[in-house]
Amino acid sequence: MSAVGLSVPRSDAEAKVRGSATFGVDLAVPGMLHARILRSPVAAGTIRSIDTTAARALPGVHDVVTAADGPGGRTGVIVFDIPFLARDYVAYEGEPIALVAAETAQIADAAVALIDLHIDEVAPVATLEQAMAPGARLVHPSWADFGTAGGAQFGRDGNLVAEVFSDPGDVDAAFEVADLVIEDTYRNPRQYQAYLEPKMALATYEAGRYTIQVSHQFPFRLRDRVAQVLQVAPSAVRIIGHHIGGGFGAKLDVGLEAFAAMLARRCGRPVRMVNNHDEERLAAPCRANAEIRVRSAVRRDGAILAHDVDVVFDSGAYANNGPALSSIPMFMFGSIYRAGTARIRTRNIYTNTAPTGAYRGVNGPYLVFAMERHMDHIANELGIDRRAFRLASLADDGHLMRNGQPLEELSILREAFDLVEERAPWAEQGKGPLRGVGIAAAVWLTNPMPAQATVKLNEDGTLGVITSATDNGSGAVTTGLRQIAAEGLGLTADRVVVTMPDTDLTGYDAGSQGSRTTHVVGRAVRDATTSVRDLVLETAASMLEAAPDDLVVEEGSVHVAGVPARSVTLAQVGQTATSSRGPIAATSSYVTPSPPYDPLCTPGMLFSAWPTPTYHVHLAEVEVDPVTGQVTVDRYVVCQEVGRAINPDAVQGQVQGAVAQGLGYALWERMDLQEGVYVQRSFETHGLPLACDVPAVEMILMEHPEEAGPYGAKGVAEPPIVPVAAAIANAVADAVGAPIDQLPITADVVLDAIERAACA
Amino acid sequence: MQFCRAGSIDEAVAELEHWGDDCRVLAGGTDLMLQFRRGEVAPGALVHIGRVEALRGLSTNGVTRLGALATHSELGSSTDLCERHPALVQSARTVGGWQTQAVGTLGGNICNGSPAADTIAPLLVAGAQVELRSARGDRRVDLEDFLVGRRTTVRAPDELLVAIEADPLPSDGGEVYLKVGRRGAMDVAIVGLAVRLRVAEDGVVSSARVALCSAGPVPFRATGAESMLVGSRAEVEAVDAAGVALVDAASPIDDGRATARYRSRVLSGLLARAVSACIEVARSRGEQA
Amino acid sequence: MTDDMVAISCTVNERQHDLVVTAGETLLDSLRNRLLLTGTKEGCMEGECGACTVLVDGLPVDSCILASASLDGCAVRTVEGLGDRESLSHLQQAFVDTAAVQCGFCTPGMLMTLTALVEHVPSPTPDEVRSALSGNLCRCTGYQQIVDAVVAATGDRA
Repeated sequence: MSAVGLSVPRSDAEAKVRGSATFGVDLAVPGMLHARILRSPVAAGTIRSIDTTAARALPGVHDVVTAADGPGGRTGVIVFDIPFLARDYVAYEGEPIALVAAETAQIADAAVALIDLHIDEVAPVATLEQAMAPGARLVHPSWADFGTAGGAQFGRDGNLVAEVFSDPGDVDAAFEVADLVIEDTYRNPRQYQAYLEPKMALATYEAGRYTIQVSHQFPFRLRDRVAQVLQVAPSAVRIIGHHIGGGFGAKLDVGLEAFAAMLARRCGRPVRMVNNHDEERLAAPCRANAEIRVRSAVRRDGAILAHDVDVVFDSGAYANNGPALSSIPMFMFGSIYRAGTARIRTRNIYTNTAPTGAYRGVNGPYLVFAMERHMDHIANELGIDRRAFRLASLADDGHLMRNGQPLEELSILREAFDLVEERAPWAEQGKGPLRGVGIAAAVWLTNPMPAQATVKLNEDGTLGVITSATDNGSGAVTTGLRQIAAEGLGLTADRVVVTMPDTDLTGYDAGSQGSRTTHVVGRAVRDATTSVRDLVLETAASMLEAAPDDLVVEEGSVHVAGVPARSVTLAQVGQTATSSRGPIAATSSYVTPSPPYDPLCTPGMLFSAWPTPTYHVHLAEVEVDPVTGQVTVDRYVVCQEVGRAINPDAVQGQVQGAVAQGLGYALWERMDLQEGVYVQRSFETHGLPLACDVPAVEMILMEHPEEAGPYGAKGVAEPPIVPVAAAIANAVADAVGAPIDQLPITADVVLDAIERAACA
Repeated sequence: MQFCRAGSIDEAVAELEHWGDDCRVLAGGTDLMLQFRRGEVAPGALVHIGRVEALRGLSTNGVTRLGALATHSELGSSTDLCERHPALVQSARTVGGWQTQAVGTLGGNICNGSPAADTIAPLLVAGAQVELRSARGDRRVDLEDFLVGRRTTVRAPDELLVAIEADPLPSDGGEVYLKVGRRGAMDVAIVGLAVRLRVAEDGVVSSARVALCSAGPVPFRATGAESMLVGSRAEVEAVDAAGVALVDAASPIDDGRATARYRSRVLSGLLARAVSACIEVARSRGEQA
Repeated sequence: MTDDMVAISCTVNERQHDLVVTAGETLLDSLRNRLLLTGTKEGCMEGECGACTVLVDGLPVDSCILASASLDGCAVRTVEGLGDRESLSHLQQAFVDTAAVQCGFCTPGMLMTLTALVEHVPSPTPDEVRSALSGNLCRCTGYQQIVDAVVAATGDRA
């Protein structure tokens, strides 16, 4: 292999270590104005009046915009519930109410402070319980009038954004014959993505078109969402992407871009917007807080006869992708462990809080936390070793998930348990007082959404990959796609240049989400490279007077098989082709085909199947301080199946980074809500993991190449966060001898558990 | 806002006299610049004292004298202080990260009046006094009396904190600073506990000083707990009784970092841990002597 | 509430600069907006993330909470002052080679703290590296490959 399987450096690494890489926030253009937002200071209330007179009069102010000036209507990804700016009422703290464009950001801020805003505050619908209570105030009184994308139908009712309810009808009967009924309720808070570069936009308007420069994970969705908000054609919007200072799901939807674009048109000047740190916290689509109730009907011999699952998760004030995420529990219960049957009800709920959304692994981390804590509970109740119970419950290849989709390679998970056992024998881990061990397993998907890529042979024998795939840090574009293209022509990766996204120039791509880039975009790149290779062989064949089938492409040249002297370089091939038949280039598109599933199993599932599954086992060893309740992670082992590791160092980096985020979620990070408002408003109170907190993760890489993937690659980056909270909670529960049923596992929670264990 | 550079203590004092409460003293600025940016303070002037050489330096002849501009990095890396004020050294190393320790000063930490100031608890158990200078003259104030409430001290607007003096750890003594945070670093203390004990040869505690931060509006000495330890041999009963007294003395609050309940519930265990550590330090110092 | 302007003279990456800054201006703003040295990043503006770390007289500081007006006569070093046109510094090169860079937004600040570390401690242990990095947040990497990079870079020198 010339490129695939090697740990080649990122193409942008040098620029990033020199500080010369241009991130969105580094952009500036002559004549630009700076815009700032007046955001709701309260979680809920009726807007009585907005007087912008004083703000407009401030020297240096160019424009002040309120809902009255903006496009009407409401928009959204799935439910059309978000107004351009809050018009009659505010639904969460931080909701945009007015915009100011001025000569400097300081003037804009001063003008924002001069806007005379009167809101009649009302008690917020602050919690899931309040929102679901009979007679609860509706977060959106006109919810029934909100349209949905493509007219999608799913359970909606008042504060219920979406409901997915799967009831095969045989669950109650299973509970009647059970020896044991085990019931648990789990709770988890929100998690903030906490990337370091805030959201920004730099917009210009010329000749009827908007050009918006951003650091964004999904330029084409952004194009479409800006067009939707501004009520213009998508072709009137051009998105140019720059280096992204982290995203983790928070930069997939429209943020400041439509505001900047509208102001640029109104002012006739470029407009730059950047959120400040507190705004970013309010505007980020955190992983949702949720409550999960799991009841299981269990037989003495350890057979799980049925699960009865009830998941309620907080949408916040707007739906975002909540209706789609409402399908995820269908893949997290009864999927890897056998269960006779399962009733799964998932409800996504409006509250007067900041909208939640996509964060690496979406609802996976808390659903696996619930499922795997529950497995520990059942095992302990039955007096069976927790790991042995899992192995006994593990389903076999071809096992049907609750959507009727078979997991054809589920036995990979059994192999993963074995590999973890070899590295960290279960019986030897977590020994000693206040030490514990936990294990957790999961199946995760690779996002299937569409990609197009163009590969061209340059006249110097290098390759260009033209794609709007974005690299928000994973290296999937700056290493993976380059390696895949290089491999197709036997080149080293440094002979391949890859573009930054520009929706006018590069083909459609569904963005950096769900670990899709290496698998889906990589497949399009591989196919395009194959076509380029065919053209290379065709051209070289005439140059070498040989049949294409007799030619070998390697190390930057083409030669006749067995006759290395009869060769031409790729540069010669490129030049010859350009001057004879025309430049060599090829474009390919790819969408992962849906795996088979039962479309009738559950109406309202917007996310109906689980494409390109990958398998994961995590083991954690912890130690608890009985005085402070603090948890130290002594050992963390990950066994992850990746199909094929295109770049092993990059895989390692994704796993280590995801585990760090998972540890933060499990142990330290806080995003508490009080009366609908976030309590922690700084990195210090928030508590992100530091270098001194995170152990070196021991990584066991499993490769089961997948035919559809480029060189066998599946998704890598998202899933290693999914089992972390589960493994840690199981280890802490083992250490203290009492259940841990909520996240984060604060020191208080640990001390409570120690007290409970002492009483028992 | 004006920026006034003071080249000497006299110049600084003159500026303070001129501006009164319309100015803020700028040393490292790690707290002040943040307050300024957040709009919590809007002074007419910043009086920058960072270049006043006379405010620097550590002197360890007899009583320990620490210049107001001693940075947390200087405190944390001083071998002299390691011997004489180990708890202070430990506390300085827990303040923020390297970046804050490199510029943040002891004088700033004290004058800022934070209930969570890490360095104050160890200074309280070392019987520290602060030295204030103004055009009206000099005065010395016990650190305990200097702190009067959350973010308030008895420093008059025209007064400059010049130095801090503290008693070094006696040869029969041990001391320790224990900080509870969520993470390994960077955290404002959820609770900070400093204990200094003197232990006679027969194992009897002859003197005990206990101070807490983040357990009330100001860092404070817990004299009730101290008296339970004095005269004991740090038996379980005595330490438990001291722990009860410590919890009684605390008036913690709920905030974004921890609950009041949590702050209270760790105190007695933390005290027991600190007492053991102090006795261990005292013993090893005794053996060295 | 206009701020007085203050004249300061300092070196930035060994080049002399005479600057006029506002009384409350941060070093970060002076670097990014006056000198257009945008390699230094603004992460949180409250001294918590370290993305804005630069060296002042050899020590790492959070430039987002440091007053430029207080820096008359100081020597400031930023990420642009590491390495030279042809080659990267040992640490920079090690970051490239060991995949210590992901999104790259924390990277300049990380490099400045670590540059100060290896100037104080030529061959730091992994624990010393982790401790020195307490004030530098990285959300992408989980830190291990950054620690590996430092060990690789300083191992070469030994």
